[in-house]
Amino acid sequence: MEYQTDDGSCYYAPSAGDVSDWVLRAASSGAVVIFSKSTCCMCLAVKSLLSNMGVNPTVYEVDQDPRGKDLERALSRMLGGGAAVPLVFIGGKLIGAMDSVVAAHIGGTLVPLLREAGALWL
Amino acid sequence: MDINNKDLHKKGALYSSSAVRPTAATLDMFPSWPLRFQHLTSTRISSIGEEESTDSGSAVNTASPSSYSDHRLRRPPPPQMDAGISADGSQPPKQIPEKRRGPGSNSDKVLDAKTMRRLAQNREAARKSRLRKKAYVQQLESSRIRLSQLEQDLLRARSQGLFLGGVGVTGANISSGGAIFDMEYARWLDDDHRHMSELRAALQAHLSDSDLRVIADGYIAHYDEIFRLKGVAAKTDVFHLITGMWASPAERCFLWMGGFRPSDLIKMLIAQLDPLTEQQIMGIYGLQQSSQQAEEALTQGLEQLQQSLIDTIANSSIDDSMHHMALALGKLANLEGFVRQADNLRQQMLHQLRRILTVRQAARCFLVIGEYYGRLRALSSLWASRPRDQAMMGDENSCQTSTDLQMAQQQQQQSSRSHFSNF
Repeated sequence: MEYQTDDGSCYYAPSAGDVSDWVLRAASSGAVVIFSKSTCCMCLAVKSLLSNMGVNPTVYEVDQDPRGKDLERALSRMLGGGAAVPLVFIGGKLIGAMDSVVAAHIGGTLVPLLREAGALWL
Repeated sequence: MDINNKDLHKKGALYSSSAVRPTAATLDMFPSWPLRFQHLTSTRISSIGEEESTDSGSAVNTASPSSYSDHRLRRPPPPQMDAGISADGSQPPKQIPEKRRGPGSNSDKVLDAKTMRRLAQNREAARKSRLRKKAYVQQLESSRIRLSQLEQDLLRARSQGLFLGGVGVTGANISSGGAIFDMEYARWLDDDHRHMSELRAALQAHLSDSDLRVIADGYIAHYDEIFRLKGVAAKTDVFHLITGMWASPAERCFLWMGGFRPSDLIKMLIAQLDPLTEQQIMGIYGLQQSSQQAEEALTQGLEQLQQSLIDTIANSSIDDSMHHMALALGKLANLEGFVRQADNLRQQMLHQLRRILTVRQAARCFLVIGEYYGRLRALSSLWASRPRDQAMMGDENSCQTSTDLQMAQQQQQQSSRSHFSNF
């Protein structure tokens, strides 16, 4: 797994628009991107599910980011309220939280999506 | 005579009023009439009721024709009623010779007073028993109505967001949220039974696919409903759900995250579902695999939550305990998320199953599922009511239980109510 934290060399109070843009750009930084918190158990579940399928997701731990609170707000808004993490993007597209990932997997659409994004080769 | 007549009418009134209020009849089982007097009356009643014996000789009759317990006693009291009673109850010795003509089978023998009294007592006991039973049944009926009214009130109150307090309605160790869910689950089990009958009948009647589709989709909606109810209950009492206190003991034995394990259900179904096309087989095995993967992931997440909780509680110092308790409470709140995800997995699995199978296959599949859990529930009941003193007798015990199981199976086949929810 790759862990990335933002350097924040030029830190200034970001606007909501800035944060959302950052999130969307980060969401496309890998075939599979998971926004997570290091203390969140459901995030562990989603990481575990994807890893065990052979995926190598890019993980952003928002509680380790200086703009953590802003990020959480932006992430929460993307799902229309509710928990900010875990949030999963595949091929830059928003899939959703754990329930969406599970529904996609059970429904048989997750694996094709992963293959299409290049996260799975077999 | 007049006084006696009034007296009798008062007693009669007591009896007829008891016909209107069943509970009074129960209380009236031991009226203040002298015992000897009761024998006479009961003998007279039974002889009217059971055999059309002579009523010319017998002088005693009560107003019991108005007693509701025996419709046979509707005859108007014979005119002897006035003449038959004396205030001091000194009649009995004179009446004995009359009674000889009463019970037909013994009419030839000379019966002594002791036997007569014993027979009379038996009849009286039987009559009282019938009265008691009727009163009990009437009480049960009215209690049932009251109970369903209470249920409705509770549900209404809950939907209006009224907090019923921490103490359970029953005073047991479950919160009101758990008690409410148990009621809703009991109702869901009744619905399940109805769905089963519908599925069974539809398959036997070889209905068209479009008709079957309605019934099969109805069963999916029925399961959607219980998952919705569990979601609501998870907010108020997640422990009740996750410990499986709402389920029967046998189901609880195989509990995974507050319900059935989806991959286990598929394993059970695979054997029962043939014939399947190759594509369907692939689909079912794929469903089993993806369920298993999701189950493992959720289990790992829950284990981390549990470990984190243990660490929080174990590491609290004396000065800091309140803070750690608050932390622990925060972590516990995440339990609800896991139960919700597990139910979501169960729901998705059932929907995917419906998609993979044809309508007819799906109908059969749902029947298998319903019967399977019905048997688990029945097993729980049988186990709970097994004779304990046979615990040491190995073979006899297993014979007993296998007979019970056969009976239970026959019961199920006759579509009688065989679910004994642990409610």
